[in-house]
Amino acid sequence: MESILRKTAKELLEGKKVDVVVGYTQGSVPLTMSPVFITNPDDAERLVFNALCSQNLAKYVHDVISQNRAAQKRLKPEERKKKVVGVVARGCTTRSLVLNLQEKQYTRDEIFIIGVPCAGYVDQKKLSAAVGGTEILDGSLTGGKVTVKTPAGEKSLVLAELLADNCLVCAYNNPIISDITIGEPAKPMNSANEFKKVEDFAALPLEERWSYFAKEMEKCIRCCACRNICPSCYCPECFAEQSMPQWVGVGADATDTQVFQLMRLFHMAGRCVDCGSCVSVCPMGVDLRMFLKKLDKDALDLFDARTGINEKDLPAFSVFKEREKNEEFLFEP
Amino acid sequence: MKKRLLKKSGIAELVAKLAKRAGVFAPVDNEGNTLFQKVIDANSIAKQYVNSKDAPKGFFFPHSETLMRYKRTDKGMELEDDQVAQTKRILFGVRPCDARSFELLDLLFNQEKYSDTYFVSKRENTTVIVNACVEPISKNCFCTSLGLSPTGSAGADILMLDLGEEIFVEFITPKGEALLDCFGDMEPSATIDVQAVRERAATLVDASVPCREIKTTLDNIYEHPLWESIAQKCLACGTCTYLCPTCHCFDISDEVKGDDGARIRNWDSCMFPLFTKETSGHNPRSTQKARWRQRTMHKFKYFVDNFNEVLCVGCGRCVAYCPVNIDIREVVKSVAKI
Ligand code: SF4
Ligand code: SF4
Ligand code: SF4
Ligand code: SF4
Repeated sequence: MESILRKTAKELLEGKKVDVVVGYTQGSVPLTMSPVFITNPDDAERLVFNALCSQNLAKYVHDVISQNRAAQKRLKPEERKKKVVGVVARGCTTRSLVLNLQEKQYTRDEIFIIGVPCAGYVDQKKLSAAVGGTEILDGSLTGGKVTVKTPAGEKSLVLAELLADNCLVCAYNNPIISDITIGEPAKPMNSANEFKKVEDFAALPLEERWSYFAKEMEKCIRCCACRNICPSCYCPECFAEQSMPQWVGVGADATDTQVFQLMRLFHMAGRCVDCGSCVSVCPMGVDLRMFLKKLDKDALDLFDARTGINEKDLPAFSVFKEREKNEEFLFEP
Repeated sequence: MKKRLLKKSGIAELVAKLAKRAGVFAPVDNEGNTLFQKVIDANSIAKQYVNSKDAPKGFFFPHSETLMRYKRTDKGMELEDDQVAQTKRILFGVRPCDARSFELLDLLFNQEKYSDTYFVSKRENTTVIVNACVEPISKNCFCTSLGLSPTGSAGADILMLDLGEEIFVEFITPKGEALLDCFGDMEPSATIDVQAVRERAATLVDASVPCREIKTTLDNIYEHPLWESIAQKCLACGTCTYLCPTCHCFDISDEVKGDDGARIRNWDSCMFPLFTKETSGHNPRSTQKARWRQRTMHKFKYFVDNFNEVLCVGCGRCVAYCPVNIDIREVVKSVAKI
């Protein structure tokens, strides 16, 4: 599959169908892949796609397009040139692209989607836990196995047991939209129990839920990696960085972190594709997904909305249907 | 130099004795993260660690620190220095790279003309006990590329070398010697060859990163496409700089409630969009490209210009923990190729 991916990217670049291909490449740390921007057709050789590719690349698509637009702000409209971004996109990435399109962040002709089937990615925290937190010296991925070399020796792990929580219950692991698809469609994941964890959590007494939230927020160092990797978080200036007025303080007060995260979480209602990127980049292991998944569930239960699964839909909060399900929640939250 | 030999089984007693002298802080396993925390007995100290996740710089330069408090009264402003009398501390099990970072931070915070009392008083009250890396295993470490040794004593008051059954202890400074009695009275015999241990350890660390050789190139590449290519995938999260033992940028802000206010100093990071943003809204480093250039230049050029040292100790934290795998070793190598 990788050879077709490379060939496709090379041809797209050579034929000037795209200006850049955003994909993944081998990282410098064992068992990590890293985002890469390919502009030279010969560099297409560097592209990889496997279960170690974790980030949702839609964020970078938005970056490239908006930076290109900003750079041409002072040109006459007829002199402005569009940049076409090719992107290696799995199911969740295409959902983000769909959302960005629905939200009119760019137009369909500015992106070229190289759809790839996906069987989930490795959660680095699970991987680290599986080797008891010891240093990973080397490793490889073959079939359904991850071989890891640690100071204590070599260990063979089952890939399926290392997959990220969001992948385990993913119902959209094949591209929703694409311009070209590579490989055979992936087998569905087991999404039957998608909301089990949030349902259990939601059934807990308020105090317990709050203390869980507070405990998770205590870990947060407000690096904002979660926000910055998120394709739905594209405000040019985040409220968290505004200083006039200042919405959240910059000191070590626990409530500032809580407010920051609450605001971000609520901006995600009906806009989260559950790609798990925020969780995977969080250096502190904050369980953001528990809360995001609740909002995901609410969007589904209350508005029949699933983020980015249909290009023709409008985002949940852009439409008002007179007979919205459970609309009384507006009046009695 | 005074030396001691300590049986491994004697560590529990050692830590107990040290804890009577001062607060002892050591790397502790904490839900998957190895962090420097207060310990009262040796059992809680992490058995195996490459290094702590957080750099111990925080003991001298905390993440958030109140510098002073003020109060508006009828008689005018009342100012209050928030410096509580500094308590004595012992950092136990610091790695040589991190101990070296203390020396680099001293260059900045403890200059003849400008001395930061907050930093300096904490440094003076802290004894640094280094646990040398006799068996460096991580592929992310590159201290030898900086001319350092994984068993080096730069920045250490006491240096411990793990020889298997025993620990070889060297007392580097008078501050370290003051704790001599805690380490028992067994003097190592002259036949113990620590030099061989040291030499072997040094060969196990990657010495190929030209960190000290790129300064002249950097002098000439303020404008270069390289900066854009590094910054492109950066998330601006600051993980690299927060975990870095040598990064030391800070931002001072006032938190005011009614008549009471506090002036606090927080870590800043050149990776953040708010870094160097001015009151007017203008930011001389308004793009991630400019900020990544700043990070590279500060470490490998500006600090060399100012203090004749490279501002990196090769601990590999930024390499290991960057969520998108931007690798400073690769950055340095790319610059060297220009
Ligand atoms: S959430 Fe679905 S599409 Fe996204 S990485 Fe996981 S399995 Fe693949
Ligand atoms: S990535 Fe994690 S630590 Fe950083 S702001 Fe988000 S939740 Fe907090
Ligand atoms: S720049 Fe990276 S390797 Fe160098 S001291 Fe800082 S964290 Fe360690
Ligand atoms: S850790 Fe990586 S992504 Fe985060 S600011 Fe540093 S270089 Fe950028």
